[in-house]
Amino acid sequence: MSDEPAAAADGETGSSFADTVGIWMPRGDELRVMTATAVVLAVFPFVFSRMPVVSDLLQGYQSLATLILIWGIFALGFDLLLGYTGLLSFGHAAFWGGAAYAAGVFSQHVSGSPILMVLAGTVFAVLLAWFLGFLSLRRGGIYFAILTLAFAQMMFYMSSSPLAFITGGENGFTGVETAELFGLFPLESELPLVLETLLGTWLYAFVAVIALLCVALGYRILHSPYGMVFRAIRENEQRAEFVGLNVWRYRLMSFIISGFFAGVAGSLFVIHGTYVPLSSLYWTTSGEVVIMTVLGGTGSLFGPVVGAGVYLYVENIVSGGHPFEFVAPFWHLILGLVFVVTIWVFPRGIWGFFRDVRDYVTGGED
Amino acid sequence: MSFHIEAITVLLNGLQQGAIYILLAVGLSIILGTLKFVNFAHGALYLIGTYAGLLIALEVNLTSGQLQAWGFGQLGLGLGYIPALLIVPFVVFVVGLAMERWVVEPFKNRPDTDQILVTFGLAIIVQELFRAFFGSSSLPFSQPSWAQGPPQVPFLAAIPISSWRYYVIGITAVLVLIVYLLVEFTDFGLVVRAGTRDPEMVELLGIRLSRPYIVVFGIGAALAGVAGVVGGPLNPVNPTIGNEILVPAFLTVVIGGVGSIAGAVLGGVLFGVTQAVLVATYSAWAQVGLYAIAAIVLLVRPQGLLGEAEVAP
Repeated sequence: MSDEPAAAADGETGSSFADTVGIWMPRGDELRVMTATAVVLAVFPFVFSRMPVVSDLLQGYQSLATLILIWGIFALGFDLLLGYTGLLSFGHAAFWGGAAYAAGVFSQHVSGSPILMVLAGTVFAVLLAWFLGFLSLRRGGIYFAILTLAFAQMMFYMSSSPLAFITGGENGFTGVETAELFGLFPLESELPLVLETLLGTWLYAFVAVIALLCVALGYRILHSPYGMVFRAIRENEQRAEFVGLNVWRYRLMSFIISGFFAGVAGSLFVIHGTYVPLSSLYWTTSGEVVIMTVLGGTGSLFGPVVGAGVYLYVENIVSGGHPFEFVAPFWHLILGLVFVVTIWVFPRGIWGFFRDVRDYVTGGED
Repeated sequence: MSFHIEAITVLLNGLQQGAIYILLAVGLSIILGTLKFVNFAHGALYLIGTYAGLLIALEVNLTSGQLQAWGFGQLGLGLGYIPALLIVPFVVFVVGLAMERWVVEPFKNRPDTDQILVTFGLAIIVQELFRAFFGSSSLPFSQPSWAQGPPQVPFLAAIPISSWRYYVIGITAVLVLIVYLLVEFTDFGLVVRAGTRDPEMVELLGIRLSRPYIVVFGIGAALAGVAGVVGGPLNPVNPTIGNEILVPAFLTVVIGGVGSIAGAVLGGVLFGVTQAVLVATYSAWAQVGLYAIAAIVLLVRPQGLLGEAEVAP
């Protein structure tokens, strides 16, 4: 604000130009957070699936690394709603699965360009979130969870029979036709030079770039005055209302924003799997993202991403047997137990737990 | 088959399906109305009821799961359906008491979202325990031989509906009436209703609310258990049935109006009949129809059909 008079002295055009750039400039810790995220995203697939000793221990593989990022975006967006605005939705499968179907159908009939597919899926998810949010927010508190659950189930049954001629019904949507990125690079082909060792495929690079943008967007929203309002509503809805904020509108917006992230993730999911299972709309999918978010830690930007990683790791590696033969058939049970213990004892999740440990060790307080 | 008979068949099928929803919804509704607790594990109680009923009533040959691996391939008491109907409510009642004591009570002062999350987690644990022990394949839970054909009563004999469905409707009607009378016309019900209005005042008057509350939860759980026993023989029995029934049960509560027993009955009948009519006419839309009705009701009357409007939004 202080530089406004100086900028105004340069004349009208100069001022608007400086303002436009200024809005997009990173501020505060943003640059540091983004750099760290970029570094982690760049080395993650290497460490997880190709690094000599570590990857043998972890049993990770490239495709799972990509999947973790995709679910990470989903969980990150979900946490904007649950952790920051304090609304628990059990219907986010509608946006995830809806975007996946939309992107899939778009690829079959219009264009298979990955970027356009993500756009199409996301637009669909945002519109759907607007509509369902409008309906579900008619009742606050506990009803919100039930209503979002109900409307998402409605989407599930819609695509299972009445709309089966588009969605493929029980069999899922199989007609996905993904084209090359920018019309040049097939997504499953490997990156050139050292990037191949680090990132692996073009698909991972594509997902990672979008993930980075999503983290940036999430960080920006949460550190903006707008995001502060979300937290104010979570802390004390009544006070926020009395201050003059339209709580209902902010809640709807928070719902739409998290629907946006779910849409991006759902579209990437169909690009990654080139298939949309009908179960992607079932309410257990909403349950999965709830578990990931809570497990990782609500109310933090990266906790849910960690939660997504842990969940998918257990689901795909631990359930596979060696070296986990003993617990493999019970992976879902174990996740359920860990989930309940997390809510009971560590409501702030894995991320919050490590934060507490860090604060304890360094003696600093948050 | 004449049109009349067909219409009555559809209607009775609808009432029977509605009865299952009603049993679950009444339990959910009184728990939500008095304890202000959202129980996402209500489907798990239904699941426990079904399996308990199955194991008491029949002898089952397990084809997968840990129990089979440990040599308990043949399981079950084989006592018949009447003992199952009498024992299961008590079993699930006790489960409900335990749940109130060790889950609801510690989470009383936690946010609503935590209550939903913890019960959701418990529902997963219960489901996965059943999957681990009894396997994920469907178990046969046939209707009792004495209730398979249409009842041998002059008029009803012409309608192709097994008498088990009449029993389901009858049992539901009796139980819901009992709960209604209990809440409306006994001292116990008076305390519960007063506690719903103003718990602080009731406790100031020297009435301990924790005891009626734990009983309310137990009754709600027992109703879910009964729903499991009577609903079990109508569908394949596997560990996911609890998850599947939970959503329509919740919707029944919401469109009927929270805390209203009459509302739960109305909602259940509306849902059951709509579903049966749609199955008979446009079967592809049968499930979607339920949710469409729920959406319309909520748009027109957000507090539910027989619910009282809230003071605060």
